[in-house]
Amino acid sequence: MGNICIIGPRASGKTTYLAALAYKKRLSSKSKNFNLQPLNDDSRAIADKAENIICQGESVEPTVIGDVIQSVDDLPFYFFNIEIKKNVFSKTESFQLNVRDYPGEVFEKIAEPNLSDSIHEEFIKECLMKDVIGCLILLPEWKKGTDKFYNRVMNRFIDLMDVNDRLKDLKLAIAMSKCERGELWPGRIEPEIDLFGVHLPNTQLTLKERIPPKNLRFYALSTFGVLGRTDPRPNRVDEQGKEGKASVLREASHWHPYNMIDPLYWLSKKG
Amino acid sequence: MGVIYIGDRETGKTSLAMELAHPNGNYVKVISPDYEYLKGFLFDQELQRTRATEAAQASYERTLEIQVTLPTGSKQISLDWIDTPGEIWRKTWQSKNSDQWKIFLESLRQSEGILLILPPYRELIKPSYDLDLFITQEQWCNRFNRWVDFFHQDCPKIRHLALCLNKADLFCDLQKEANQLAYIPNRSRMNWQQRHDYIFQRYFKPIHSQIKEINKKVSGLAVRCFITSIQNRDLLELPWIYFGSFLAK
Repeated sequence: MGNICIIGPRASGKTTYLAALAYKKRLSSKSKNFNLQPLNDDSRAIADKAENIICQGESVEPTVIGDVIQSVDDLPFYFFNIEIKKNVFSKTESFQLNVRDYPGEVFEKIAEPNLSDSIHEEFIKECLMKDVIGCLILLPEWKKGTDKFYNRVMNRFIDLMDVNDRLKDLKLAIAMSKCERGELWPGRIEPEIDLFGVHLPNTQLTLKERIPPKNLRFYALSTFGVLGRTDPRPNRVDEQGKEGKASVLREASHWHPYNMIDPLYWLSKKG
Repeated sequence: MGVIYIGDRETGKTSLAMELAHPNGNYVKVISPDYEYLKGFLFDQELQRTRATEAAQASYERTLEIQVTLPTGSKQISLDWIDTPGEIWRKTWQSKNSDQWKIFLESLRQSEGILLILPPYRELIKPSYDLDLFITQEQWCNRFNRWVDFFHQDCPKIRHLALCLNKADLFCDLQKEANQLAYIPNRSRMNWQQRHDYIFQRYFKPIHSQIKEINKKVSGLAVRCFITSIQNRDLLELPWIYFGSFLAK
């Protein structure tokens, strides 16, 4: 049983990812090897959002610091029980996941020098507590210039890990999110080489130099997926006027997320 | 918390809320207060129309208990229906009643969603109606520019803005549009994004750039376009189902 934090910039798909994860109806019918039960009110509520909002062609609301979320304690906390059967010969493994979904601005503000006296510091401290076994970090951008920004944020984040004595024992699953996009989809098989190595080389280098190899993995992740096995068109529609940053599910009946569980499974395993 | 209703004078705000309470609802039902009760104090039997909301007070707060049927089942939501008289958008009224205006802005800032009711403009209206009764497209656009400033300056925290082009019976084939747009859980022809695109392209063309500007200026805000009419239940319910999907707890 472990606590996992999901962090990433604004609109990187953190809440949508969690909603899709919790949306049991779709997942359990598609995958025989995997079963997930929402265990608390927050996780049941987010499963409803998947059905009422995402499946109806809308975006979930952004998680922002402000009216409802004033401090870390106000963040929704999702408890799931996950059962996995890796292959026909293996035993079913079961583990409990406690996941916190962080507001994107917390991640973006990490790189700012005046972090020390702000509310954001509290959020980061919480995510580096000893009872957190790992972080899933979602990075959605791959265009020119973002590598520099992500690199700066990750360097600072690793500094903070050091300050909080977590440099050696916090696992980091770095995932390129929204990989259904045509430019990224072919790179999903070898994300470390074909996604991070190509689009975010400096960020990757920093992580590899500063994080012990056993605590670091790179993933490709797609919550919306593509339309079908033989139809690699992204199952998403970009919202007008949002410069591709906001998109909705195109066809709920063809919803097959890609690689949702692997990073969580790896993060939750000991060692 | 809740949803706030705003719009200029005579755009049909009160009628929309009253009709929503009509018992023949499909997916949206107003549980309390009941239709007859609402009609009793909102409708003028002699004039056969809704009474103009008096400007003596900035907002009239009434709570509507609404049940919305969503794909996961029925959810009950409590809506703070804050009806405002159209006059309060006039600068003269605002300066004369600055205290009231402040109270109104405060309730607006606390609301999660805003329903802006817009009247149709002259160029859109079917020729069989008296066109002189309607403002021109240019006037309509100018007025909307002021709304853009208002949302930008006074509502930096809103998350959902539904733009309702009301009195749709005056400018389109209601039944045809309702057939396209209607909400039927799990069997709708269109999803929310498609509905918005369809209405945005067809009826909101003159203010495309302004809507984009609102999107840019107010971060984290979703702007959605609707057409509404008290003569068509499917269209009338859509903005509420949309809000229900997000606000129903």
